[in-house]
Amino acid sequence: MARNKYDIDETLQSEFNIKHLKRLGSYIRPHRKDMILTICLMLVSSALGMLTPRILMTIIDDYIPSKNIRSIVLISLGLLLIYLTNFVILRIKITTTATLGQSIIHEIRTDIFTHLQELPFSYYDDRPHGKIQVRVVNYVNSLSDLLSNGIVNTITDLCSLFFIVGFMLSINVKLTFVCLIGIPLLMLLIFVIKRKQRVAWQILSNKSSNLNAYIAESINGIRVTQSFVREQENIKIFNHLSGSYSSAWMRAVCYNFMLWPAIDNISTWTTCAVYVLGIDWLSGNKFGVTTGALIALSGYISQFWAPINTLASFYNSLLTAMSYLERIFETIDEPVLVKDRPGAVAMPPIKGDVQFKDVCFSYEDGIPVLNHVSFHTKPGETFAIVGPTGAGKSTIISLISRFYNLNSGEILIDGIDINSVTIKSLRKQMGVMLQDSFIFSGTIMDNIRYGNRTASKEDVIQAAKTVCAHDFIMNLENGYDTEVNERGSRLSAGERQLISFARALLADPKILILDEATSSIDTETEILLQKGLAKLLAGRTSFIIAHRLSTIKNADCILYVDNGEIKEMGTHTTLMQTPGYYHSLYMSQYDFLS
Amino acid sequence: MTAMQWFFSFLKKYRIRLITALFLVTIVSGLATVNPYVSGLIVDNVIKGGERKLLPLLVAIVCGTTLLRSVLKYIYLYLFETSSQRMLYSMRDCVYRRLLEQDFNFYNKNRTGDLMSRETGDMDAIRHFVAYVIYAIYENSLLFILAVIMIFTVDVKLALCMIAVLPLTVLTTAKQLKAIKPTFHNIRQHFSSLNTFVQENVSGNRVVKAFAKEDFEIEKFQKENDGYRDAELAATNMWKKYVPIFELLANLSTVILYLVGGIMVVNGTISLGKLVTVSGYRWMLNNPLRMAGWLANDYQRFITSVEKIYSTINVEPGIKDPAHPYKKHKLKGDIEFLHVDYSADDDVILHDINFKVKAGQTVGIIGATGSGKSTLMNLLCRFYDVTRGEIKIDGIDLRQYDLYNLRDNIGMAMQDVFLFSDTIEGNIAYGKPAATLEEVKTAAYIANADDFIKELPDGYDTIVGERGMGLSGGQKQRISLARALLKDPSIVILDDTTSAVDMETESHIQNALKNIGHKRTVFLIAHRISSIKDADLILVVGDGQILESGTHEELLKKNGYYSTVFHHQYGEFDQIQKDRQKGGLRYGTK
Repeated sequence: MARNKYDIDETLQSEFNIKHLKRLGSYIRPHRKDMILTICLMLVSSALGMLTPRILMTIIDDYIPSKNIRSIVLISLGLLLIYLTNFVILRIKITTTATLGQSIIHEIRTDIFTHLQELPFSYYDDRPHGKIQVRVVNYVNSLSDLLSNGIVNTITDLCSLFFIVGFMLSINVKLTFVCLIGIPLLMLLIFVIKRKQRVAWQILSNKSSNLNAYIAESINGIRVTQSFVREQENIKIFNHLSGSYSSAWMRAVCYNFMLWPAIDNISTWTTCAVYVLGIDWLSGNKFGVTTGALIALSGYISQFWAPINTLASFYNSLLTAMSYLERIFETIDEPVLVKDRPGAVAMPPIKGDVQFKDVCFSYEDGIPVLNHVSFHTKPGETFAIVGPTGAGKSTIISLISRFYNLNSGEILIDGIDINSVTIKSLRKQMGVMLQDSFIFSGTIMDNIRYGNRTASKEDVIQAAKTVCAHDFIMNLENGYDTEVNERGSRLSAGERQLISFARALLADPKILILDEATSSIDTETEILLQKGLAKLLAGRTSFIIAHRLSTIKNADCILYVDNGEIKEMGTHTTLMQTPGYYHSLYMSQYDFLS
Repeated sequence: MTAMQWFFSFLKKYRIRLITALFLVTIVSGLATVNPYVSGLIVDNVIKGGERKLLPLLVAIVCGTTLLRSVLKYIYLYLFETSSQRMLYSMRDCVYRRLLEQDFNFYNKNRTGDLMSRETGDMDAIRHFVAYVIYAIYENSLLFILAVIMIFTVDVKLALCMIAVLPLTVLTTAKQLKAIKPTFHNIRQHFSSLNTFVQENVSGNRVVKAFAKEDFEIEKFQKENDGYRDAELAATNMWKKYVPIFELLANLSTVILYLVGGIMVVNGTISLGKLVTVSGYRWMLNNPLRMAGWLANDYQRFITSVEKIYSTINVEPGIKDPAHPYKKHKLKGDIEFLHVDYSADDDVILHDINFKVKAGQTVGIIGATGSGKSTLMNLLCRFYDVTRGEIKIDGIDLRQYDLYNLRDNIGMAMQDVFLFSDTIEGNIAYGKPAATLEEVKTAAYIANADDFIKELPDGYDTIVGERGMGLSGGQKQRISLARALLKDPSIVILDDTTSAVDMETESHIQNALKNIGHKRTVFLIAHRISSIKDADLILVVGDGQILESGTHEELLKKNGYYSTVFHHQYGEFDQIQKDRQKGGLRYGTK
């Protein structure tokens, strides 16, 4: 499986996929009423706006020659009325389009985020986190312009194009067709640059993703960077990424810039053609061309090209947005490998009987991590897992929570195959304390309460006392209300472990899993901790991984794991009776003393 | 320096480019008056006056001007865009450098997502301003002034009537600028907050899943998502009030034109052709009036972002190089702590720490969770400055060294292993990017990581996930250890670096540390007695003070904290010794 890093571009989908547009349409559909209403209003507004040249024509052709000042005043008042109506319509339009755009963005963001919650660890392990984040936040935001104004404007403009053409036809058919000659020319140009333009925007989205990933890592890894004096090197890399982002940007916008001058020129040529032919026909008295008609038509021509201009800029922003949309949909479509089976039921309250039956597992094809692992715990027992690093200890316990699917064999809890129950009901009853104690930004109280939001303040304090965290928490400036952040602020690694321990405990799990949960905690605290835990653990099955053997000596059963296999199994006493892996591991800790 | 001055210090470098571009804008805007004028001529002289011979010339002028205009416009768009990209490049660089300079206290107080927003979303607002808003403001003002001049040359009275709406537009702009500012501030705030939330959710995905808290996360996310949407909509609500007013004012000038102009033509004050000419200038007059609201919006958005960025980087790092930094290529590694105190936010974290280590010695540090062990090491790397007393390396106060020089001589493997999403080789060579593969392998060998790395599908080229996701705790620790050793530093700090490593591996590592390479001063923070037993000096830290110090034997005799810990970990040792002496069981290591 190829992993991604900050300087590797994600793969490009080379062909424009119309399905993405359809899918975007499905987000718009629920809002179609608002949209149609807005478009109708906008059409009224642009129809009214198009009366302006007609009014000018009337003034020039009729009222001025007839010196009818009263009519001029009246028609001007009429014009004012039109503009007042437009004022009201514009107010409504701004609200509805913004609401429309923001609601759709809101929904797309919800979908991508919700889907991300279901994706397995491997998804997160395989790419820099900044690249995931940029999709949820920045990419979705970049759709905002397209969705709020873009769609409504485009439809309105398309309609007003028809109106204008209608008006023009009503004035003079032949001259109108002269004017329309410009359109095929424009289409040809768009067709020619489309492909390059699309690729350029896709490249840009990659470069922005790379840059984002690097910024995120630079901030999170700042301590390592500073202690390794890597600043200069990082600045070089950053500037390289930042530079390729800039040049990708330039390449992409230069294509966009081409559209506007093209339209400007084409529209000028057609206008000139209208003048030349119009005057010719006027002098030849052909096709019913009048002075007023020619002037009015030239007014409409500029109005005819204005919506085409906005359509072109819509087209530009559509191409831009598509490069982001593809990434967003790609994430939403990422298959969920570990999911509830059809007809999965809720896991009944767990008693704690855990059985591994001939379990085989590998993360990547062909590289087995666990080979035929079988064991059985009774409710309330404590199982310790020891063995060299990389032996598969963490893998065994992550399978109990069904973080991965097995290759073969099965895991039963209270005799129920964990594949047959819903994942949520299963994990809710597990208290897992991982190697990495992740602290969310918020108060310490919030962090401990994470596993059980209904817990009272007293419950939180009780849990903290049990894991010996109460004292140090009370020593912090604001006690339990002290704000901490992701990097843990001033908390030491041991303190963070204690907090995540309290968090696991407060969730009141039926099965407790401690993966090197106490590695950064000193022995004295650990002894106190174990005393506190003894009461709590009574009646709960627990799995403990630890390298300090004093931590696990009293376990009901110790598994010695190496190379993905269980090499030995038994209590400390029984294992120590025969020379074997555990025995030699245990003795090795004394070697240095003699 | 204010935020705006800071911004202009970047913009300044591109002033020639920008002035050229603005000059081109001026020409293009000037050219924009040609076509309406020529159109007027076509109507007056060709259509009405019947001077058909003029037509080819006039048409050629119109087409030629348009062509020239689009070429020039393409050039100035390009100039604006490149200026903004180049400026942004140096701005991002400046912010990035500043972030790298900041001390740990800064990072304790700022959330990752917020800092990221400064480098991404806020930068984009600035890009938009430089690439678009500057010229849009200039172009619109210019067009407006030109239109006014042209209309004045046609007829003064008509012109005065048409620009009567201008004061109202100016007034509305001023009001809008003021009203919209808080809403943009609010948007930026919510954007940062959303960014931070998503960032933490992604980083903490394991915890989320382990606690099956997806629903809770989605619920929290909805709040952020709603908050951001509502902030955007609040801004919309604000400009909904203003933008239509600009539109109306712009259109009002059209009404005035038709009404007053029409009457004037009837009265014979101006010709019909002139009315058509002025009508052609109408858009030049209206568009700027219409755009005023949007540009005021963009301007305010830009100001908000510049202020946000500036307030982030305007924090002086607490740890800085001295005025005359002392540099020494290779430190020996004599270290002395003299009455060192460290407090943060009124909390005393370390108090009156005294000890002395000779170059090449090993110091073991043991003590309760949160007692200040890591802080002690952070002080040595000058990640924080002592609040009292001094730390000397090779007899010179730490604060007199060049900061990079100092840290370059210290190799630290931290308690929280942070790996970058890069290859294993890249991670190990982090402190010395130019290292050869051989050097990387040697470091990995000392850290006992070579074996497991070789077994990975891509060996040293295996890309590890962010924070080393996918590797076990012990594997990560060994990579981080190799990373610290590759620098070949005079001082090595191993902050609980072997907690997730089994004991056999640990003893391999310790032997290798002792026997490979030159002498180094080593600090070992550990909880297992086995890790630190052979140290030349063992410090027992508790409550921010050194409770006991001495060698393993000395400390055992004291019957204090150290010997208690020893007995807890190795209580059965005596029994085992007896068994061994009986000649019963004797097993070596595997």
